[in-house]
Amino acid sequence: MKFDLDAVFVEHGCAGSALAMRILRAIPRDVPVTHVADAREVSRPASGERDPFGAGKRRMVIGKRKTPFLMPCPAGSSRFACCGYLVLTLASNCPMDCSYCFLQEFIADNPAFQVYANFTDSFDELDRLAGNARGRSFRVGTGDLADSLAFDSITGISRDLIDFFAARENLTLELKTKTDEIENLLAVDPRGRVIVSWTLSPDAVYRSSEHLTASPTARIAAARTVLDAGYGVAFHFDPLIAYPGAERDYAALIDELLDTVAPGEISFISMGGLRMTPRLRGAARSRFPGDPMLCGEEVLAADGRLRTFTPLRLNLYRTLADRFRKAGAEIPSYLCMETASVHERVFGAPPSRPAIIGERLARG
Amino acid sequence: MNVDEIDAQIRLLAAGRRLPPSHLARWLAMDAASRAAMLDIARALRLRTGQMVTALETLEEIAVREDLTVAGVLDRAGIRRIAAGPGSAPARASAMLEALRTLRYPRLKQMQEQIRAEISALKLPRGISLLLPKELGSDDLTISLRVRSAAELARLLEALGQKRPGLARIIEMLGGESVKNEI
Repeated sequence: MKFDLDAVFVEHGCAGSALAMRILRAIPRDVPVTHVADAREVSRPASGERDPFGAGKRRMVIGKRKTPFLMPCPAGSSRFACCGYLVLTLASNCPMDCSYCFLQEFIADNPAFQVYANFTDSFDELDRLAGNARGRSFRVGTGDLADSLAFDSITGISRDLIDFFAARENLTLELKTKTDEIENLLAVDPRGRVIVSWTLSPDAVYRSSEHLTASPTARIAAARTVLDAGYGVAFHFDPLIAYPGAERDYAALIDELLDTVAPGEISFISMGGLRMTPRLRGAARSRFPGDPMLCGEEVLAADGRLRTFTPLRLNLYRTLADRFRKAGAEIPSYLCMETASVHERVFGAPPSRPAIIGERLARG
Repeated sequence: MNVDEIDAQIRLLAAGRRLPPSHLARWLAMDAASRAAMLDIARALRLRTGQMVTALETLEEIAVREDLTVAGVLDRAGIRRIAAGPGSAPARASAMLEALRTLRYPRLKQMQEQIRAEISALKLPRGISLLLPKELGSDDLTISLRVRSAAELARLLEALGQKRPGLARIIEMLGGESVKNEI
């Protein structure tokens, strides 16, 4: 997949970095490159743009990250049963444009596509984590504030990451994506330390809401390819959108997936219902006024987010969980940003502690 | 009236009601038939500002969900019946907004009706009340007992015990275990 860029900005002091040189070699010649003193100046919403968030996606900024790369998943909360996921922020924003994406609110004031020239500093943070907790395993992902593989053909970051994780026994890397941009992955050996995960949605959601992404069929085909190349694979049914006909469409999607990837080959699955703060919904509706997926039967839940009303949402979770269960293999599964009581209603048992779930998912 | 006249009337009505500019802009961005249909109903039901805001937002979302125009939604028999029916304008305005909400949240309304029917069928004694989560936004069921004596408490607890299977069924419904409609 190739995404358009309107401009590239390089922060002072980053031009000589390996990442900047790689990017400047790889981008088309007609993309203007500008050197700036401070990346923040060009990361903010551009004035005069009709859609500053959308415009930010096509403006790549190569800068230095001044805050830690590694952090607990920001979705985690004592209110929810969490999966113990750790987030490694190597980029911010995404060239794809899903109508429901939380980034429309989360980085509304900072929408440029940013990559960090000093990203290898994150390896020190990871080594400190692993060294301080010997005997424990951690699942670390780069797909929170960005898609893990979008622009990988330009940045080549995945190769550095995989080389690093392949040599660490207690760290598992999760590359989360909606692309089929896997060429770089096929050139390195993950040594069992890397899981590639795809968000999967039925065709109706893909066509209505997931702009510029790879089709669900292409994502599943890419999963098969990386599986055969020695990677683990996982799938996120998140956001689950309870549109009329969703139950049938998600069941068909699972059947399509299991026709290509056997249940026993799946490292884990996650599910999470569509959830939007009122502010995010306002931003999304204004950018995508014709998307029916943004006009579902969401109501205000106790956490202040708009969610599909509870019986309908839980019924859809249970339908998917049953479909996988009937496929004949115990696939580790969790719910994202749901309470322990919802977890128990869907899976029939209370969730384990986040650290235990995280460890289990990291070990595969 | 031609389109310009309709738009002028919309602006006049919006100014009189102090409709927020963003909502006036959304109204004027509709197709001509929808602009006119909204104007007709706003006048016929004498919609207040808040009602107009709610109607505009709900109508837009129903139109997106069902791939219709706002005029198409307002042309539904149920809505036309309310608009042209008996009763005061405020009563018809409330009824229309409720009808729009049912169109906007059809499965929620259906589920709420199913659960309320289950609650009615329980025939709980006076003193026991069940409170459903607002708009079924959670899976909590609140059960309240109102007592003034130990004997009354004993009587209500015994009644609750007898109603346990029915209560369990309602709890299951809140957890989505009895969603009948195909989603």
